[in-house]
Amino acid sequence: MNNQQLTKVVYTPESKIKRPLLLFRLMWRDLLASKELAWQLMIRDIKAQYRQSFLGVLWAFLPPIFMAVGFTLAGESNVISVGKTTIPYPAYVMFSTALWQTFIESLNGPIQAVVSAKPMLARVNFPREAIILSKLGEVGFNFCIKLILIFGLFIWFKVPVSWTIILAPVALIHLVVLGTFIGVLLAPLGVLYQDVSKGVNMLSTFWLFLTPVVYPIPTEGIFSILVKFNPVTPLLVTIRELATTGILTQVTGFWIVSAIAFLGLLITWIVFRLAMPYVIERISA
Amino acid sequence: MNNQLEKDLVISVKDVSKKFCRDLKRSLFYGIQDIASEIIGKPRQSEELRSQEFWALKDVSFQLKKGDALGLVGANGAGKSTLLRIISGLINPDTGVINVTGRVAPLIALGAGFNPILTGRENIYANMSILGLSKQEIDKNFDSVVDFAEIWDAIEAPVQTYSSGMSARLGFACAIHIEPEILLVDEVLSVGDIKFKMKCHRRLAKLQEKGTAFILVSHNSHSILNICNKAIYLKQGQLIMSGEAEAVVNKYEEDLAFSEGKDGRSKAIMRLREKPSHESSGLDITSIFFRDEQGNILETPLSGKPAYLCVECQANQHFEDINVGVKIRAILGEQDVVLYLTSNNDSCLLEITPGKTEIQLQMSQLGLSPGRYTARIYLRQGVRSFDIIESFRFIVETSEIMSRCLFYQPRNWQTIKLD
Repeated sequence: MNNQQLTKVVYTPESKIKRPLLLFRLMWRDLLASKELAWQLMIRDIKAQYRQSFLGVLWAFLPPIFMAVGFTLAGESNVISVGKTTIPYPAYVMFSTALWQTFIESLNGPIQAVVSAKPMLARVNFPREAIILSKLGEVGFNFCIKLILIFGLFIWFKVPVSWTIILAPVALIHLVVLGTFIGVLLAPLGVLYQDVSKGVNMLSTFWLFLTPVVYPIPTEGIFSILVKFNPVTPLLVTIRELATTGILTQVTGFWIVSAIAFLGLLITWIVFRLAMPYVIERISA
Repeated sequence: MNNQLEKDLVISVKDVSKKFCRDLKRSLFYGIQDIASEIIGKPRQSEELRSQEFWALKDVSFQLKKGDALGLVGANGAGKSTLLRIISGLINPDTGVINVTGRVAPLIALGAGFNPILTGRENIYANMSILGLSKQEIDKNFDSVVDFAEIWDAIEAPVQTYSSGMSARLGFACAIHIEPEILLVDEVLSVGDIKFKMKCHRRLAKLQEKGTAFILVSHNSHSILNICNKAIYLKQGQLIMSGEAEAVVNKYEEDLAFSEGKDGRSKAIMRLREKPSHESSGLDITSIFFRDEQGNILETPLSGKPAYLCVECQANQHFEDINVGVKIRAILGEQDVVLYLTSNNDSCLLEITPGKTEIQLQMSQLGLSPGRYTARIYLRQGVRSFDIIESFRFIVETSEIMSRCLFYQPRNWQTIKLD
């Protein structure tokens, strides 16, 4: 044991934001340090999840399929009237639902991660970034499974594909960043108050309704304004367009929302770090 | 010299305080307040108490050098765990500064992150990475962790099939193999069977030789004295005493004896204040003490000599079938019950008439070996409990040599001629 190599830590009551350089350095260090832990935790969670499930990966396929079946039948019997979509309607619904699910998973991920890691957080001082990263990894894993469905779908419905599909994953990352931004922002509060997870559950249903998942982008009425100002709209629509037609209609919105999401994520990361000790203090006092 | 001292210092805690709030709603709200001021960088006036807050720790200072083993004693709620949590960086102090050099392994965290569905092997990887080890380091230590936990056969079985002892062993083995510079041990040595405990103690001693510093929290004075060279004594968040382990533990035990019973000197006479009528159950213990067979009050009973444990009580009506229970524990040592006697078990239900009564447990030859004891004494009628004295402390002395005897054996020696 060499004293020079030992890490020295100082704990004081002073707000850490007063020494931003140190704060950024620690954030960078913890991010690097949490890679491996995040990987281990992700493996642990995925394994545990599938070992306790009979249907296993089917759960990734079922929601989009049910959604598509429901809305296609409703559309055929004219219960609801959806406009013309650029690709066959069932494929449209399934593909969009898969994207929407990925967004919601990345939003819920940080909140769930922090809540379920409560006992661990209260006892061990490990880089807190790890649990968020591990959830992100899970979101990625789940999306990879959904990719199988999407591939099958595109082949079955003979959906025309544009070369821009190779850019779609980049846009997808932007969508995940937006979800993570909101999730990390709410996570510390979510540990203290159960209202947060309840509220998120309720609002996400409403939010789905405002997002062009089961219908194409509306062009008139108050509803169209709501849908237009929904930050998920430009991201989701752009991914869909990149993967199919290759003609982009929401470029400006896409970049504005992306900028907000990335900047927001950086800021909420700082907030998350600063808030966690106070949250932990309250959960296990 | 001074420089060397500085260099060997692994933990330095200076004037550290921490406040908590007992009301949950308010506590959560204060949490939000603190987060807000932390983010905007406003001083959060942490040195002042807000309404309904109290100091869980107040101006505590101490230092810990390489290879030191520090015992932390104090009653429940004295702030021991809070102190450990501040040192491990889980929560921010409200005043003061803490300097920590080296990796801290909290043994408060036994089995942190264990997932019952997964196998022992998978859990070792998850748990040890949470404690800060890389994959390679875990690979390297894996076999010795399994060896230490003695779960060779069960390593591929889900942890939920483990017995509580097995998972505790696994947790301990994981924590101890991360070879930290500082080990925080919180009451965990009380898990597992005696054989495993011994193994843990040996392992701790080995780590100590290598220079690992310890902080050990325990209610068991015996294990503190066994492992620690220094100790600090916390009482309601205040540092009462720090120094040599033995002196601190003595002070703590003395205080314990003092705090219970109104005039509980080392003399074994306990007089209780009269209960106000709304607290009384109709049958109250008023005092406890020993008498010899002549009826004189005994301050310290002697091993092997007659000792009558007397429980004086005040009854406001007639009671029948009263059951008196006496459970005696040794204070030093493993804190195990050494005697548990009830009048009920001895088929001796007592009748008590209104007024004062003295119940005597007559021991014609006291079997307890010399030492300090605490007795829990209750009066019951069936399942109904009238009064309980949680701790009546007394010292047993001896007039003969009993150093290797666990209890007093009444005996005679004789020679009998056979032919």
